[in-house]
Order: sequence, then structure tokens, then C-alpha cells
Amino acid sequence: MTRRISIDPITRLEGHGKIDIFLDDRGDVANAFLQVPELRGFERFCVGRPAEEMPNLTARICGVCPEAHHIASTKALDALFQVDPPPTAKKLRELLYSIFYATDHTTHFYALGGPDFVVGPDAPAAERNILGVVQKVGTEIGLRVIKMRRDGHELIKMMGGRPVHPNWGLPGGVSRGITEEQRKEIERLGREAIEFARFTLKLFDDVVLGNRDYVELIKSDAFVHRTYNMGTVDDNDHVNFYDGAIRVVGPDGAEHARYHARDYRDYVAEHVEPWSYLKFPFLKKVGWKGLVDGEDSGVYKATPLSRLNVAEGMATPLAQKEYERMFDTLGGKPVHHTLATHWARLVELLYAAERWVELARDSEITGDDYRVLPEETPVEGVGCVEAPRGTLTHHYWTDERGILTRVNLIVGTTNNYAPINMSVARAARHLIKAGEVVREGLLNRIEMAFRAYDPCMACATHNLPGGMPMEVRIRSADGTIVERITRGLG
Amino acid sequence: MRTLVLGLGNPLLSDDGVGLCVARELRCRLAGRPDVTVDEDYWGGLRLMERMIGYDRGIVVDAIRTGAEPGTIHRLHADDLPTRHTASAHDASLSTALSFGRSVGAALPHPEDVLIIGVEAADVSTFGERCTARVRAAIPRAVDSVLKALDREGGRR
Repeated sequence: MTRRISIDPITRLEGHGKIDIFLDDRGDVANAFLQVPELRGFERFCVGRPAEEMPNLTARICGVCPEAHHIASTKALDALFQVDPPPTAKKLRELLYSIFYATDHTTHFYALGGPDFVVGPDAPAAERNILGVVQKVGTEIGLRVIKMRRDGHELIKMMGGRPVHPNWGLPGGVSRGITEEQRKEIERLGREAIEFARFTLKLFDDVVLGNRDYVELIKSDAFVHRTYNMGTVDDNDHVNFYDGAIRVVGPDGAEHARYHARDYRDYVAEHVEPWSYLKFPFLKKVGWKGLVDGEDSGVYKATPLSRLNVAEGMATPLAQKEYERMFDTLGGKPVHHTLATHWARLVELLYAAERWVELARDSEITGDDYRVLPEETPVEGVGCVEAPRGTLTHHYWTDERGILTRVNLIVGTTNNYAPINMSVARAARHLIKAGEVVREGLLNRIEMAFRAYDPCMACATHNLPGGMPMEVRIRSADGTIVERITRGLG
Repeated sequence: MRTLVLGLGNPLLSDDGVGLCVARELRCRLAGRPDVTVDEDYWGGLRLMERMIGYDRGIVVDAIRTGAEPGTIHRLHADDLPTRHTASAHDASLSTALSFGRSVGAALPHPEDVLIIGVEAADVSTFGERCTARVRAAIPRAVDSVLKALDREGGRR
């Protein structure tokens, strides 16, 4: 008898994401699939427009990481128009991007990932949110989180020149530079961001690493996948968010590939499943073997943890120390524990803050030479950055006037679509055996499994921990509902 | 009394951008009101809460899907039915975000002074820069709802 369990994170807002868990004949979990609502017609929407509009258009694809799309798109325009921006422009872009990263990672830890640990994975849903975090660790922390986020948003607004989305990136550079006065303010707030990041790592130490149950949870088999990892590294093989080579390492940590973003199609292909409109990227040279891990499966992850796994270290001193401490604690590289992604994200938070200050102190950062004008005829261009949720690739084709004829995007989360499904199945496997469903904690654990990736595919997955109404339906082969587990359905 | 009127939405997802259209119209209509700030944003939750710090009152205009006739105007508060962006933020619902902000002492409007005008949407998943016809036709009514709310509640103090 084949049974199917459906988990519907129902929102009243839009088409909802749905998790289907398929059981095999023995009642064990065979597979799990997360399906998300489809946004229709983006490519058609873009074709026929001037390519220069893309940094602003793609920034609005999703409200979660507009800056990542803006910068990736701007880099795609550099390639399309064959211009190399001056050093000041590159540094300004990386500076804005570092500020964005610090802000985004802060939000994830305190509002999304953190509550599971700080308040506890089995705490009532109503408490597993940022309010619960503050009640547990103090209002002072809440104020610091708000300040950190506001500082980041204000600085991005100041640099980008527009209150909502940056209107800033141009082929060959950026539209405006910064004054010495602005530079000083950026540096001052960057120093505070470093302190905030260190404080957050200390909090993680005290609350998570100081709790044996949590450490065991992080290390537990329920959250382990031995896959390939992808990330961007600089010339010294250190993590870089803005630019560098794409590096892929195998489950054993050995280098599988190192390539320029423009060659991505030689290394990454996309698998299509009939039940989802989303494509599954996989490593072309390894091949698609289904939703399985291991050396022979082309499934890879591109997450904060992946970036640390593919790199040989961090480019800034404090983050380097934390990098070493993390791998020492978790038994060396590469780490395959999905929940360690939360820790990796905090190491990146510290790096982003340190890099922010480094760039703010750079002698070229206030320079006037922040744009070169394109002169070549555009044909095709690829731009790539590390978005917080994974390697983000923009690929544009145009006619000789620069009018878009084709667009291809691989967004951060898409890289992780296969591992997300695998993680959900793994978490479910530990709680559903031989047809017996451990109801208690099932939804929480499944939520934790995909939350580590911070998936950014549908708003259904963006709700606060425990805040997502869910429904699990277990059906017998003839379609009869034999069991139903719900949360938050009123 | 300082009031923030904020249109929320994604200008590329058809009816999802209706809040922005309403805000643009209101910006013209309220140009002579120094006590009212009209702005646009794309994000609810923490960011929306943070935007309201320092204001006595917040009026949010956003698309909503409840199954009602497209173009229906809903008047809501933060604890009511979530609209497209007050709940589908990446981080927290508006209600939780406001509670969080108040719990740490941020200067936020009282719960009864946060009003949400929801405009029932028909299509929020097709890329396009225009609202569908019935939603477009509802924009003047949504504008009126905000203006009425400003008058009514503005005269209280």
C-alpha cells in the first residue's frame, strides 16, 4: 500500500507551498517534495526591454534580497557591454553588498533560524519567534537588532540614492560615489556592526553550543547530507560574496571544479521533474541520479555552510578565528550537518562586518572615478554573486541595440532545491517509521529542516518559525484520509 | 499627530502593486499636509514596524486575497487577517513585529492607530506592471478610505 502525506503550509494570501511525503509499501518515507507557487512569465516580461533596466527590474523579483539581484545584474551588464569598472566602483559595490549581507544575516538569525534554538525546537509555535527570543535573552538585544537593521537600511539608502530599491548599478560602474563625510559614517557604523556580530556569535556560543541537546541535534543524522558544495572564492581561496571563481568541492572536500561564472553552463545543468515547475540544478559532470547524496550524485548545496566548506579560510582576521573554531568543533571540513548552516551564517555575518570596515577605510573608496562608459556592442553577458541563500547567476542575451532577447536566472535557493527536498525527507524519515507517525514535533522538525536553507521561493516558507499554518494528511492508497495533523488552522 | 501612510507591494506582479498605486495618488492629494508622510515599500514584518517608529499613527495600503470580489476594500488592524505583505514578509508578521518593537521600547503607534487598507486582488502571480481592471477601478475608493481615515481619526486629538 502506498500512502501519501501532504503538508500544506496554508496562507490566505496566495497559492501555497505544499509538502508531499510519499510512503513506500512498508510505510516508510520514500520521498518528500516541497512544491511552491509559480510566478508566471518573468522571461516574457523582460524580453524586449533595454538590458540596463535589469538591475532595477530584477531587484523587485523578490523583496527578500533585492540588493543581491541588483549587484548580480549589474555585473551581468558589465559583461554584456564588455566594460571593466574602475577599482572605486568595484569597491563601492562590494561595500554596499557587505552592508546588505550583515543586515540580512542578522535578520535570519534573530527572526527565523534563531528562535528554533534560542527558544527551543519544541517550544510552542506562538513563542518561537523574535518576540520569544527577546523574552528569553533580554530586551537590550532586541534594540540592538533593530539598530543593526536600521543602520544597514539607512546606509544602503544613502549609497543607492533611493529609499526602497537601489537605483545605482550601471554597466561599467555605479551612478554615484560617496563623500568623506559619508565614508566616516559608514566606517563608524561598520565598527558597531563588528561588535554586534561578535556579540551574536557569543550568544550562539552560550545558548546553542552551551546546550548539549542542541549540539547533538546539529550533529544528528536527521540533518546530515553528504553532497557537493558550491561557493565563490577569491585568489587566496577565501570566501568572497561579490566576485571570484566558483569553486565546487566533493563530499570528501576535494576540489571538483573551479570556473569563471560565464562558463556555468559547462558545469551546471538543470533537471526537470513533472510535478514541479522549479528546475533542479545539478553538476553536469557528475550527472543527475535523483534526490540522493554521495559522490555519484550531482546534487550540490550552495549555502553559507557550503561557502565555508569550499573555501580555505576567511579574508578577515576575526572571522578566520571563528571559521577555525567552527570546523574544529564540528570535526573538520567539510561539514555536512545542515543545521550548522546557522553557525556558518554567523561567521559570515562577522566577515561581512569586517569587510564593510575594511572597504570603508580603503583609500580609493571616496574616489571620483566610479564609472567607465561602455563602447562595445552588446551580445551576451553573465553576472554572478554569492547571494545570502546561494550562488546567484544572471545571464542575458540582447540584440545589437542592447534590447533583451533572452534571460536566464539561477537564483540562490534554486541551487538548493534538491537538498531541501532531501532534508525534508530525512527529517520525516526519523519521525515516520513503518507507517507509525510520531505526531509530536513532526511539523517543527520538517520546518527546521528547510529553514536552515532560508529558502526564498515562496512567502509560505518565509513566515516566522511556528507561524506557518500546516496540515499533514496521510492518505491510504484509495485516497481516504486516515490521519490528519494540523497547526494554526484555527 | 504624525501619520505615516505606506503603500506596500511589488510593482511587477500585477495586482500586488495596488498599494503602490494608491500611495502615488495619495502623495499628490496629501502634498499640503506636513503632518502626513506618504511613502512606498515592498516589505512587511520587521521592516514595516521599523518604518513606523516615531509616528503616532500608521496607515498601510496593501493587496489582499480573501476570496472576495476583486476590488473590494477591507479595513483591518494588524491582528486581523493578514494582507499580502503584512504577513508574507521574510521574517515576522506585522502583528508579531509590532509586539516585538513595543516590547523593547520602540516608539510605535498604539495598536488601534495602525490601520490596514486591503484591496482585494485578482492576480498576484503574473509578471506585469498594471493592475487588472477591477482592481484598477478600486484605486479611487482605496484613496478615499485612507483620506476618510485621516480625517476621522486625525480629529480625535
